[in-house]
Amino acid sequence: MKKILTLMLVLAVCVSAFAFACAEPVEVELWHYFDSSNDKDMINKWVDDYNALQDKIHITSTYVSRQELMNQYAIGAISGELPDIGMVDSPDMASFISLGVFADITDQLNAWGELDNFYPGPLSSCKDADGHLYGLPQNTNCLALGCNMDLLKAAGYDHMPKDLEEFKEMVAKTSDPANGIYGMAMCCIGTEEGTFQLLPWLRSVVDGKSVNVDDLTAPSAVKGLTVLGDFIHNNYMSKEAVNWTQADAWYAFCAGKAAMVECGTWHLAMTNDINGAFNYDFCLLPTGEEGTSTSTIGGENFGICTGCVDTDACVEFLKWMCSKEKEAEWAVGAGKIPVRGDSKAEYTYETKGFQVFVDEMNYAQARGPHAEWPTISEAVYTACQSVFVDNADPAEALTKAMTVISPIVAENPLP
Amino acid sequence: MMSKRIRPVSAQRQKEAYFFILPAFIYILLVMGYPMIYNAVLSLKNMDVKNLKSGTSVFIGLQNYAELFGNETFQLVLKNTFVFTITCLIFQFTIGFAFALFFKQRFPLSGVIRGMILISYMMPISVTGLLGKNIFMNDGLVNDLLRRIGITGPEWLTNTTFSLPAVIAMNCWVGIPFNMLLLISGLSSIENEVYESAMIDGASWGQRFTFITLPLMKSSILAVLMLGFIYTFRAFDLMYIMTKGGPLNSTDVLGTYSYMLSFTQFKFSKGSAATMVLFFCLFVVGMFYLHLLRKEDK
Repeated sequence: MKKILTLMLVLAVCVSAFAFACAEPVEVELWHYFDSSNDKDMINKWVDDYNALQDKIHITSTYVSRQELMNQYAIGAISGELPDIGMVDSPDMASFISLGVFADITDQLNAWGELDNFYPGPLSSCKDADGHLYGLPQNTNCLALGCNMDLLKAAGYDHMPKDLEEFKEMVAKTSDPANGIYGMAMCCIGTEEGTFQLLPWLRSVVDGKSVNVDDLTAPSAVKGLTVLGDFIHNNYMSKEAVNWTQADAWYAFCAGKAAMVECGTWHLAMTNDINGAFNYDFCLLPTGEEGTSTSTIGGENFGICTGCVDTDACVEFLKWMCSKEKEAEWAVGAGKIPVRGDSKAEYTYETKGFQVFVDEMNYAQARGPHAEWPTISEAVYTACQSVFVDNADPAEALTKAMTVISPIVAENPLP
Repeated sequence: MMSKRIRPVSAQRQKEAYFFILPAFIYILLVMGYPMIYNAVLSLKNMDVKNLKSGTSVFIGLQNYAELFGNETFQLVLKNTFVFTITCLIFQFTIGFAFALFFKQRFPLSGVIRGMILISYMMPISVTGLLGKNIFMNDGLVNDLLRRIGITGPEWLTNTTFSLPAVIAMNCWVGIPFNMLLLISGLSSIENEVYESAMIDGASWGQRFTFITLPLMKSSILAVLMLGFIYTFRAFDLMYIMTKGGPLNSTDVLGTYSYMLSFTQFKFSKGSAATMVLFFCLFVVGMFYLHLLRKEDK
């Protein structure tokens, strides 16, 4: 009898321990590189909210700097040490899909039935060449022109530039190098950030035509680069731009050192930096003929990494995070544009500015997606820097870039 | 008889000695040996973004090395690495030695000033890089000082001719205290009596330096130069923060270039080949140092 009782007790302990273990949510790691306080606070709050909403998974969000996160993905592609859910810059996603960092979640997302609501550009950055999906775009942004209206007025303009020719004229007239004021500020650094800002000028619309990076020897691309090169050589744009990040260019504008700046949607959440020092406004990037514009799509995607402990449960989190309501909430809180057409972000600040960026999205193009985009990107910024720094001929510089790009796109064309 | 009794004891002690170094040997083998061999093997394959997932990379022999050495950018990177290392070594060593000799003298506040010089060495390299970026920008401190004496300074970080000298200057700023520190400890080991006798014999300052200081400092100097070469040759963070290797690869060195190949462009095998070139250069220098040490011992 004593033996039976002991056995039953042991059995009861085991069953309760098993039941307890079953009830415990699975621990899931999410890595992100949101470094501004708005973004970081929001992702942490959302993760807490989602943990409270369900009990299948418990997500721990960890901030890893962008470059370090990319390194970890590259190392993880070989070692297999990856988080369960990972954030990635949209142009880099194709490379990491190709490296096997992200898992194919096409079936789960198709079953969701909401993919048609996503804008095709951002969504395409989550696909491989065969159209399989490896994640979801979480936010998107693009580039437009920020203008110091006081400096424009002082130069005799009461409006913002409408086309490239007028823009060139305005940049020249607002420049005052003797007092450290330049007509234009932008980022031309030798990284992906530089390519992001340079591409709209290379893709400008001239004679009704615009080209992609697989045809950079076209006259429109050469003209765009020539304009930027002339800005630097004529002292209308600081040569420091070749080392400037987008933040550096923005701060130069905020400090009144530049009449116009190529800026991103996220800068709308940073207009406090201007501190009321001058009147400002935003307009479409005047890269080509009147009535046209070109811009680059930016933004971040989230994917489920290979080897995730519970792919289905993590996909549920992605679906929740990229739902209609959450997309609108994120866009307002972080100063971004929703990636879904059915999300209506009701911005409570810079409403006019946001409308400009939403309009600009109609002209914005994605980078790639292409597994070898980093090599294409390097060829683009190197060609541009050789014009800015070494006075190279724009046509020759872009021809040299095409010697790198052409074999890549010949083997695997751009979409 | 005597030797027969000693031999087993010596063999036993030898076994014990091997036993004691075994953990360190295994550690080095795992932590350094394995990655090095893996890297060497990787450099002989064609692993990149296109074939990593499928695992279809194949051995291509020395093709990566041939392509690297035939590439204009890599030639520039190799040249930059040697120019950077040798120039830094010359300035760091000579100025560091001069400071070491100066601060060996006892004078009021010498300890405080010596401590202040060490601040640049103690500073994290990321801070040094950011400082360098600001000091050498077109309207930065250096050009402002030059302007005050009527000289128009160059565009340091946006000009391919001046960007490397700017990075060299910042590296020297960090390296000089390091050299000074090591050389001071070498100088302290020379007895004052040696100098006193030489002075009694009428030796001038130059003679004392040439015939006493330099020969007695030989091993310290070798160690400083050797360490300096290794630290400088594999530089990465300073360039990465100050210029990202630009403009137009003018400040790219083997460390930044191999990182860019492997982690930005995902050309893993080519990046490994560039790292092997870096390793080979340091290996040759290390062997040369060991040769000099052995020669000195003999």
